[in-house]
Parts: sequence; C-alpha cells; structure tokens
Amino acid sequence: MRQFRAILKKDIVMELRTKEMLTSMGLYAVLVLVVYEIALSQAGSSFDILRIAAGLLWLAIIFTSLLGLNRSLVHEKDQGCLDALLLAPVDRPVIFFGKAIGNLIFLSVVEVIVLPLFYFFFLAGKPLGGPLWMLPLPLIVGSIGIAGVGTLLATMSVNTTGKDLILPVLFIPVMFPLLYASVAATSAVLIGDAGYVQVFWQAVTLGAGYDAIMILAAYGLYEFIIGA
Amino acid sequence: MPGNVWTLVLLGVGAVLTTIDYIMAFFYTPLVEGAQVSEMINGATVPATRIINGIAVSSQLLYSQKIFYFHVPVAIGSFLIFFFTAYYGVRFLLTKEKRYDTRARIATEVTLMFVILTLITGDIWTRFEWGVWWVWEPRLTTYFIMTLLVIAYFVLRSSIEDEERRATYAAVFGIIAFLDAPISFMITRLIPSSVHPVVLRSGGGLTGPQLVAFLLGLFGMLMVAWVVYQVRLREELAKERIEALKAALEG
Repeated sequence: MRQFRAILKKDIVMELRTKEMLTSMGLYAVLVLVVYEIALSQAGSSFDILRIAAGLLWLAIIFTSLLGLNRSLVHEKDQGCLDALLLAPVDRPVIFFGKAIGNLIFLSVVEVIVLPLFYFFFLAGKPLGGPLWMLPLPLIVGSIGIAGVGTLLATMSVNTTGKDLILPVLFIPVMFPLLYASVAATSAVLIGDAGYVQVFWQAVTLGAGYDAIMILAAYGLYEFIIGA
Repeated sequence: MPGNVWTLVLLGVGAVLTTIDYIMAFFYTPLVEGAQVSEMINGATVPATRIINGIAVSSQLLYSQKIFYFHVPVAIGSFLIFFFTAYYGVRFLLTKEKRYDTRARIATEVTLMFVILTLITGDIWTRFEWGVWWVWEPRLTTYFIMTLLVIAYFVLRSSIEDEERRATYAAVFGIIAFLDAPISFMITRLIPSSVHPVVLRSGGGLTGPQLVAFLLGLFGMLMVAWVVYQVRLREELAKERIEALKAALEG
C-alpha cells in the first residue's frame, strides 16, 4: 500500500509541478469540441443532436485518453523512471495499479471539465431523458476500463519503434466493446426512449463485466510486459 | 518423412470434404422453409414466396442461405484457430521458448485468412439478404473488430526489434485480443440497438442432409486450416535453421 501510494504520489506531484498532461489533455478535448461544431455547422435546425450526443462525448473522451495514456508512459520511459521502478523492490502489480489509478485520476479531472463544456456547447436548454444522477455511472465504468486496459497497452506501445502511432491501433479495437456499452448507456440517459432504464442497466452491467475481465487479464499480464 | 505424408493426406481429405460440402450445398440440401425457385399457381409459373414470421419472403432470398455451408464453417474455424494464438501465447509466457512464439504467430496468420474469408462471405450474404453492402450487425461488427485486432497483432510485431520483447508483447496482445473478440460479440448482440434491429433466423435448426453438409464443410475446412498451419510452420522452422546455419558459417 505504501509503495502504491508512493507511485501515485510521484505522478500527481509531477503533474502538479509541470501541469503538462492536464493542460494538453484539456486543451485537446476543447479542440475536439470545436471540430464537432465545424462538423455539425451545416446540419440544419431539424437535426436532433441528442441522438448522437453520447457518441460525440465518448469520441472526445477516447481520443483525449489516448493522448494522456501516451504521455503518462512516455515520461516514465524517457526519464528512465520505469527502469528505476523495476530496480526498486516494488511488486510488479503495484506498478500496474499505481499507473492505472494515476491515469484514471487524470482522465476523471479532464472529464469533469469537458462534460459541462460539452453540455453548454451542444446540449444547452435541451431536456435530458433520464435523471442526472445516472449520467456519471457509465462515465465511471468506461473510464476505469480505459485506464486499466490503456495502461497495459500504452506500456507496450512506448517500447515499440512506432511509439504513439501504435497505441490507437491496439487500443481502439480492444476498447470497442466497452465503448459500445458506454455509448449505449449514456445515450439511454440522454435520449430517454421508452424502456431506457432497462437498456441503461444492461449496458452498464456489460461494461462492468468487460472491466472485470479485461482488468484482471491486464493485471495478470502486466508483469510480463514490464519485465520484457 | 511420415509427417509430410500425413499433411498430404489431410490436405486431400480436407479438400475432398470441402468440395463435397459445396456440391451438397447446391444439389442435395433442401432449402430452408421448403422454398422453391418457382411454383405453379393456377397453372402459371410464378416466382415462389414463403411466409416466414408473417412476412412474405421471395424464395430467391432463401437461396442465399446456401452460403451458410461455407460461411459458418469458416467463421467457426476462425474462432477455433484464434484460440491457438492465445494458447501458444500462454505457453510462451510460461516457458519463454521461441517455438511457441512461432506457433502463435502462424496460428494468427491462419486466423487472419479465415477472418477475412468470413468477412467477405458474410458481406456477400448481407448484400443479398438485406440489400446493402454493409450493416453494423453484431456478427459483421465482431468479425470486423477481429480483423482489426489480428492486423494490430502484426503491426505490433513489426514495430518491435528485440526478439524476446516482440514475442512477449505479441503473446500478451494475442491473449487480450482473444478475450476481446467474444466480448464484443456479446455486447453488440445483447444491447438493443435503436437503429438496426438485429435480424436473427428464428428456430428451425438443421435437418439431416443440411447438418451433414455443414459438418463435412466444417471438418474439411478445419483440416485445410491445419495443413496451411503445418506447411507455414515447417517453412518458418526451415528458415530459422538456415539463419542459424548462416550465423554459424559466418561466426
């Protein structure tokens, strides 16, 4: 537990000093929203954005998280921190959870900024289909999966010659089921079609199931990755 | 070499079974729901229709079901072969022996071949049955994602120079990908989509001759897959020996 806290603290302290990841991720997310505005500018007034809002939101999250995951491990690699961590008497799974929770925290901070912005830019004045408290749930489930599996895949990709080019190639197909479930759950709340509660819980449960299986696998396999 | 003989025998039997599957599919198996190309109504020959689930379906459409005898064996085969990618991946991680990495890689190559065949035949079926070239329907989606995963596996391999690291990363990604494919099938299938209703053939099951043709195709194609795998494996092993000999000569 102390080891875990030390790794997490290192990431957070470094971030607070440089503010590199949060500014780049936050800015990137805002830029994605600007690109949405361009994409939707000719859609006309009869176009109902609520129908695709969940997809747009998750698109912003997934691309922003790609940026963050890359950064978080490029640091480790470039400054030799990963090697030092391996030399230190730290359990390998602890490194995995330390990095994954760190990534989860940064992603959550960015989401907390982006979600209201997304709402004010695109959904202002539109009534939500479901109660507001349901909205964070798919975000939490999705972010846990992104951080967990993403940490494993990013650790692989920083050690390749392709570096940040490889991560999306690995990450997006592996993330597909979770993304599908998250978009379904978020859509259910935003649109509130008949029977949305059932769809919502079904999607959230499936997403949580994906999280459980994949994070368990990532946790078990991380040791091999980091040792190679 | 006896190994060669077995490979040849399996190739022969596999090819024959697959061919019989084709011939049976076209000339022997009854159509689903007892469909016919045309039927006589009041003495005139008209294109036949059948009522399925309260909807009149042209018998021509029911003919497209024949691709089933090719498509489904290939699809099942692709999953079975993909299993070996994960299996040899686990073996490699446990032993760190290079031969398991070679086997996992070749199994993935054969998977890629089968997944692409599944995608193509599935797409032809989609075009005929639903009139469009592409539908984001659970099966098609899953195979598309699987294709991407298998391609990603090779992209990952080609971007790592260190041999042991390449093998380890590929093994880990192979296992992750193998876990991911069924989950993506489950999730796309279970979450109701408001845009495309999931089209599923209801009930029925296969009758005798249909089942025979299907099983012949399945076993035939699995044998062919096994042979392709063996031939590729032997080629790789020979290549490795040549490299080793070269290194020995130079050194």
